Amino acid sequence: MDDAWFAIVMLSVSMYVLLDGYDLGIGTLLLLDRDERRRREMVEIVATAWDGNETWLILFGVAAWAGLPTAYGVMLPALYIPLIVMLFSIIARGAAIELISTANDGVPFRWGLAFGLGSLIASFTQGVAIGGLLSGVTVTDGVFTGHTWDFLNAYSVLTGLATVVLYATAGAAFLRLKTEGPLRDRAGAAGRVSLGFTAVLSLVAALSLGATPTGTHLSSPLRVVFFVILVVVAVAGGVVAWIGFGRRPDRLALTGVVAAEVAGLLALLDILVPRVVPPGLTIGEAGAPGATFVVLLVGIGLNIPLVLFYSWYAHHVFRGKYREPQLARPAGLSASAQALRPSGPPAGVPSTTDGAVS
Amino acid sequence: MSDTMVDLSRWQFALTIAFHMTFPAITVGLAIFLAFVYGAYLRTRKPVYLQIFRFWKRIFAVGFALGVVAGTVITFEFGLNWGPFASATGPVIGPIIGMEVVTAFFVEAGFIGVMLYGDGRVKERTVFLATVLVAIGTVLSTTWIIAANSWLQTPAGYKIVDGQFQPSDWWQVVFNPSFGWRFPHMLLGVLISAAWMITGISAYYLARGREQAFARRTLSLALGVLAVLLPFQLDVGDHVAGSYVGPHQLSKLEALEGNWDSTNTGYNLFVIPDMKNGRDKVKVTVPKVGSWIAKDLSGNTPTPGLASTPKDERPNMWPTFWGFRVMFYGSMLMFAAVLTGLVLRLRRRLYSTTWFHRFLVWLTPIGVLAIIGGWVTAETGRQPWVVYGQLRTADGVSHLSTGAVVFSVVGFVLIYLILALTWVAYVVRQVRRGPLPSDLEPTLLPPAEPVAEMGV
Ligand code: HDD
Ligand code: HEM
Ligand code: HEM
Repeated sequence: MDDAWFAIVMLSVSMYVLLDGYDLGIGTLLLLDRDERRRREMVEIVATAWDGNETWLILFGVAAWAGLPTAYGVMLPALYIPLIVMLFSIIARGAAIELISTANDGVPFRWGLAFGLGSLIASFTQGVAIGGLLSGVTVTDGVFTGHTWDFLNAYSVLTGLATVVLYATAGAAFLRLKTEGPLRDRAGAAGRVSLGFTAVLSLVAALSLGATPTGTHLSSPLRVVFFVILVVVAVAGGVVAWIGFGRRPDRLALTGVVAAEVAGLLALLDILVPRVVPPGLTIGEAGAPGATFVVLLVGIGLNIPLVLFYSWYAHHVFRGKYREPQLARPAGLSASAQALRPSGPPAGVPSTTDGAVS
Repeated sequence: MSDTMVDLSRWQFALTIAFHMTFPAITVGLAIFLAFVYGAYLRTRKPVYLQIFRFWKRIFAVGFALGVVAGTVITFEFGLNWGPFASATGPVIGPIIGMEVVTAFFVEAGFIGVMLYGDGRVKERTVFLATVLVAIGTVLSTTWIIAANSWLQTPAGYKIVDGQFQPSDWWQVVFNPSFGWRFPHMLLGVLISAAWMITGISAYYLARGREQAFARRTLSLALGVLAVLLPFQLDVGDHVAGSYVGPHQLSKLEALEGNWDSTNTGYNLFVIPDMKNGRDKVKVTVPKVGSWIAKDLSGNTPTPGLASTPKDERPNMWPTFWGFRVMFYGSMLMFAAVLTGLVLRLRRRLYSTTWFHRFLVWLTPIGVLAIIGGWVTAETGRQPWVVYGQLRTADGVSHLSTGAVVFSVVGFVLIYLILALTWVAYVVRQVRRGPLPSDLEPTLLPPAEPVAEMGV
């Protein structure tokens, strides 16, 4: 039962990496673009989805708390600094997104910076947190007893950087899907560069994992087979993404990136399980009592398909290439344009060509 | 764990959760209000409803985003600063908040995009549906979070195994003794604070002679809602104090009434407590009222005092008493304002009495203040316990270095200060600018070319 729950915890973290990964990545890429309209478009693309994407992080946190309370109570204090800085960044960028998109047009400089830097730092600290976790946590009697800076080492900095470029790649792939014209072209170029960095850094990270307390020892032949398959899939995903950054169809790059991310996460799990907090804490030891699991699996587990549906729907409604909403803006450009237009048919007429779900 | 560590973590928690609370205090009610006005627009097609929807949506959007990011912080703070608390209570509290995530947060988060950005991009019915779902989500959020907090206040349906709370009866866990009164009190509280926000801003326009049609409609609606909800809230509040705090958390009641010995039959309007020596330095009392509140009209029933609680189990009287007074005096002021509004309405002067409008503008944040006051009472009054009677707050703190916590406290203070100022400035700017002219229909333009092809 605790294994089924562990699967849900892992599903949430993977969904988080897949979804918020791209929107954090777009934030990072925004720092590299100086054009006002393109910057605004990037923000608008993120604005409709970031909240839903981030909710997977919350589900991950709460699922770990409920199902693996000891792991949660140990892991978080051990990673205090990176997680607090991550929270600071998430606050800054979340507020910035909404403030930018309620501004009339363009991207006010301060909030653009808050969104971009917030995204960049959040990505980095998430990577550092994973690296810090893999480098082992000091636990005595189920309580964290290590030091504040234990998490910081060459390995965690490496995983931090790898996460930044990985998310940037995902962001670029998402922009390929959602945009046209110069933004799409720039995303292709940026995507290839960051994909290159991602490949190199993950390779180094994977090879040096052996030197951390987590180690790379695969305990059974079955695991070795899985591991090899997953690595092959990840590499293939990378290749597909590389091609996708240069040609149509526009979903090619994203498909490749997603495949690579999923395979990479599974490969990491293949090494870790059944440990949850390296080097020693396992699922069994960290787990909650049976009565909790029943409720968790019934109450929350059964809701998972619904939750996946919401996430799908949030993207589906705004599917296709991004367009400016066909709506009078209160002031600025489009409002004056609007004022000059003759009034049209009554408001009841179905409004857009985008024709979402009826 | 050292006292400084405990204090720092408590200050951080209090700051971050009070900041979070400020936003749901407004957004829950606004979400319902938005669903209502959009529904009214779809039915009547009166442009003024669309105008109202668009205006309040902008205030809602930023408030909601701030609520979301601040809420995310809290979820992680349970583990970050209160690791031992998290591992002790995870099996009980975790699933409740987990239910909140899957039944409420995902609904809100999934449909908020459509609600806020759907106008002009998707069908109107879809926007309406999304708005209704977001409103339902916010109410569910409130339900689950109050269940969780009420369990900490009056724990039930659990057993303790190896220092960990384990659920034995989920029904009792969720429907614990305080949930039944605290939930309606909270829900009414957030609806009331949103209504004050709407009232205050509408009154601003009337006081200035601007946006008449728009402002009259919202003022009338919000004041009407207040006239219905406030009497209920006063009754429910009385039950919260009498049916739950008194029987289950006597020390909190002693502290919030500001007495030390158990002889006072009056009601304390003002006290300056002296925690060390167990007495009040200054005390202003109205005779007999304390007894009346305890439902003894003869005026002879005394209110229990904090001296009857052992010294190491006493909450700090300062915040408990004053938090409660903020809420209580706030309620009295609200009640007076609503009564005045009723009288003016009956005399058909509601829209023309400028001094009243000016007064209402000052009351804009009063609901939020009452809510924060209420929470300060609830949380400081249950000290030194984090799980009432079972787990002391000081035993729930993580093993962290002081430097790390100082860093995070300072960081939160700075960031939240900036955001609070930004939020206020943003609301003021939106209000000054006012709603869109009401004759703008939603989507009248011909289908757009993709942005990029317009040569962007
Ligand atoms: C606009 C909001 C509002 C208003 C007008 C009132 N309250 Fe309140 N009160 C709250 C909003 C609130 C709250 C924020 O919702 C609290 C904090 C914790 C909780 O569950 O509800 C609360 C808590 C709270 C507590 C502490 C409960 C605990 O320990 O959990 C008491 C004793 C009262 N209330 C009593 C009253 C009385 C007697 C009122 C009227 C005269 C009153 N409240 C008006
Ligand atoms: C599910 C809901 C809640 C839970 C589980 C919760 C839990 C806690 C915990 C663990 C602490 C730290 C330990 C302590 O000092 O007591 C705390 C303190 C505090 N909380 Fe809450 N809380 C909740 C809701 C709220 C809300 C909504 C507010 C207010 C806006 C609030 C205000 C406070 C305050 C002011 C303190 C500091 C008390 C002190 O001086 O120690 N709480 N709460
Ligand atoms: C300790 C207590 C609390 C925790 C851990 C908590 C956690 C959270 C989190 C993580 C979010 C973001 C959800 C998202 O991504 O959509 C959130 C939002 C929200 N919370 Fe809280 N919350 C607490 C207290 C409260 C209380 C007391 C209320 C009561 C009304 C409340 C009502 C809401 C609502 C309505 C939202 C939606 C966003 C908004 O309207 O601002 N929360 N909360």
